[in-house]
Amino acid sequence: MAKGQKWETRPLDFWNKAKELRAGWQKSIESKEKVVGQGNTFDLSFDWQAAFPAVTVIEDNPVGSMMQNKNEPYARKARLASEVRGWGREICGYQGNCWGAQFLGYIDDGTAWPDRKFVIPMPCVCDQHAKRGQQARDFENMPQWMADRLIYFGEYDEEREKPMLEHKVYCNYRIINDMERIFGQQFDEEECAKLMAGSKEVREYSREISYLMARTIPSPLSVKDLYSVYTIGGLTKIDPDATVQFWRMVRDEVKWRAENQIAAVGNEQFRFIEAHPPSWHYMKYYRYLEQYGAICLGSEYSHGAGSNYEVRPDGSIGLRVDKTYPDDMEMTTREDIIRVGSGALARPAGGFKTNEYIYRDRIVQFAQFMQADGALLAIWRHGVGCTLTRKEQAMYLRDAGLNVIHYEGSQPGDRTDLDEKRLLDQLDTWMESQGLRKVTE
Amino acid sequence: MDFKALVENRHEYAKAWKAKTGGKVLGWYEPYFPEEIAYAAGILPVRILARHYPDDVSDKWIYACCYPVRDMVNQFLKGRYDYVDGLVNVEGCQWMYNSWEVAVNNNPKLWNHYLFLPDHTDAPTSKTVLRSELNVMKGLMEEWTGKKITDEDLDRSIEIHNKNRLLLKQISEMRRMDRPLIHGAEMMQIVLASQLMDKAEMNEILEKFIPELEARKPGEDRIRLMLIGSETWDTELEEMVEAMGGDIVVDELDNGTSYYWNNIIPQKDRLMAIGLRYLGRPKNPIKDNNWRRRPQHIFELAEDYNVDGALIVKQIYCHLHGTDNYAVWKILRERYIPYHFFERDTTLPIEDTRLRLESFMNMLKPGLTHLAGWHKAYGE
Repeated sequence: MAKGQKWETRPLDFWNKAKELRAGWQKSIESKEKVVGQGNTFDLSFDWQAAFPAVTVIEDNPVGSMMQNKNEPYARKARLASEVRGWGREICGYQGNCWGAQFLGYIDDGTAWPDRKFVIPMPCVCDQHAKRGQQARDFENMPQWMADRLIYFGEYDEEREKPMLEHKVYCNYRIINDMERIFGQQFDEEECAKLMAGSKEVREYSREISYLMARTIPSPLSVKDLYSVYTIGGLTKIDPDATVQFWRMVRDEVKWRAENQIAAVGNEQFRFIEAHPPSWHYMKYYRYLEQYGAICLGSEYSHGAGSNYEVRPDGSIGLRVDKTYPDDMEMTTREDIIRVGSGALARPAGGFKTNEYIYRDRIVQFAQFMQADGALLAIWRHGVGCTLTRKEQAMYLRDAGLNVIHYEGSQPGDRTDLDEKRLLDQLDTWMESQGLRKVTE
Repeated sequence: MDFKALVENRHEYAKAWKAKTGGKVLGWYEPYFPEEIAYAAGILPVRILARHYPDDVSDKWIYACCYPVRDMVNQFLKGRYDYVDGLVNVEGCQWMYNSWEVAVNNNPKLWNHYLFLPDHTDAPTSKTVLRSELNVMKGLMEEWTGKKITDEDLDRSIEIHNKNRLLLKQISEMRRMDRPLIHGAEMMQIVLASQLMDKAEMNEILEKFIPELEARKPGEDRIRLMLIGSETWDTELEEMVEAMGGDIVVDELDNGTSYYWNNIIPQKDRLMAIGLRYLGRPKNPIKDNNWRRRPQHIFELAEDYNVDGALIVKQIYCHLHGTDNYAVWKILRERYIPYHFFERDTTLPIEDTRLRLESFMNMLKPGLTHLAGWHKAYGE
């Protein structure tokens, strides 16, 4: 891109809709008419909870991040409430915040901590995810279900996949059946099939959005914009139809912006990627770097479904295709539906977390897809799952010609060890060493 | 027998074993590694232990606040484990995984394997997954060594390992005496040595050692302590406790009692039998993520070994023990077992630790009836 070039930029139309949907989600988790659980989409890749008449799920990560983002004194108080009861200082900040709030009995605005009735820790290679369910159940006796994130090295192996897939389906099947039995609510299989179709549509939109962000110069959307909405329908669970409509709206707007060269950052000169959640408590650095014309395109984490693009040896861009069940696969029983919903692979084909574990050099493919010039890789003292193999990824990126820096902090949901002044100084040096200057200078 | 020397001379031992047998040495990281299969293939499985040496190489490769794993990387990059032919990691602590993969990446000649052992150990399907993964590992080991692992090989290996665990437990039982014949430091050295030596040879040593042990005279009354928390790599802490009039009479460490607590129950399907032993062993924090079994196990050990108090010693920045501590504190408080918690690193800050231990042990002393000769009522 030509140095000093300027593009038109304008506010995002989907912004207000996103705010409205998030407000609706907040109301839903405070509802007394629903069975509220703590957990995630466990190993089903769609919003399974909506197939029950009145079940909703809260996920610790966005709740803990928001606590730290909105109210630093409260988040510190919550973590202290955890620590005095024996929880380590080095545990994930999301959990330290949420569990502390549970002990305190209220959240940062003074309202009561939303009561949970069950807990399902998300299966994940991250140890902290695997351990997170127990606190809720220790605090107040409630059902807990577990599953595994299944990992092996080497090529896809059908023989190894078979028992692993059965394990995955069994765990998911048991959760649904037990929930029916315990909460007396009927799981609606037809509704479930519809949810799966909707989820597939959303995945297509999110892939398209990733592609447009990555391949358009100037990028129509920065990750800062994406982070403002990207939990909608995923970690922030809302009505499934509203989810599909919202993401269609986002896709349409991003596409229009790309076609009309409407930039997220009007002076885009430098594109960089990250490798994991940012400091949710200090998002200012994105805007700070924009003064240098630097735009953050996100990470394998923020792009989820879109992180499986690759740059092929002939220079073409393509998706790594996951093994899937045929579209017309018959789904007559609950087991069929859960089997299809669990996916055709026991070991994920790649993407966030799996790549760091077994395909550490794929971050280079991601950077090439994003047409990135540099990488800003956070390393978190209290976030093993957010930091694993990061140093090695930095080496691969440097070898591929990217300009890489690290910064250090406690964890994306824990502000304790982040030195903001030092971070900004580092960023100035990073930018200036590449000949970039702030637009204000 | 000087077990401490066996641990300290572990590199020389493994090198000598290789020279004598021409066999392969396999390093392992996680205590959930089923050594039985490697041993059946004629391999010497050795536990990779952390030792701190000046480190100017690991930082480039790994960001881990957990120093033992960096110390392991340091040792590999500096060539201290140059006799190791292969490395295996079992699904468990993520920092340990990072340490393993850096060592492997830096030495492409190393045979390597990642064994998936479900974190959710309780599902009926967990055992079939593990059995399948053990079968894969067995096949890869056969390919690597060029030796077919027969049922007879597995039976022999299971027998040797079961015997080793039984002998260790037999010694451990002697710590239940009012005045144990063996103290915590020596016991831990024996357990560590068992993770480094040829098991058959170790069994012979232990069989000779047990009568010697039984012939010892009981020493003086000591404050009976339990050690809970992160794995240990040496016996500095146990020695310090002993120097101050205490004794670690039992531990709940992953590479302490948990290493030998349960045996393999033989069955026709040998791999299933091995898998069930590892799924059913005393849980470490990462494998105890469904129902909390670990706190109850800790309590039972404390009761059985009649402890006066517990030391919870956590590796600094160990996220897994950091997530379990709450439940451990809770059960000890509920059962009125005094405890002292502190964090340590690969190295032990001597004066700081000594002061903490002294305060804790002084606090315990006034209430201890056995220190006033109470045991004598039983004619000991």
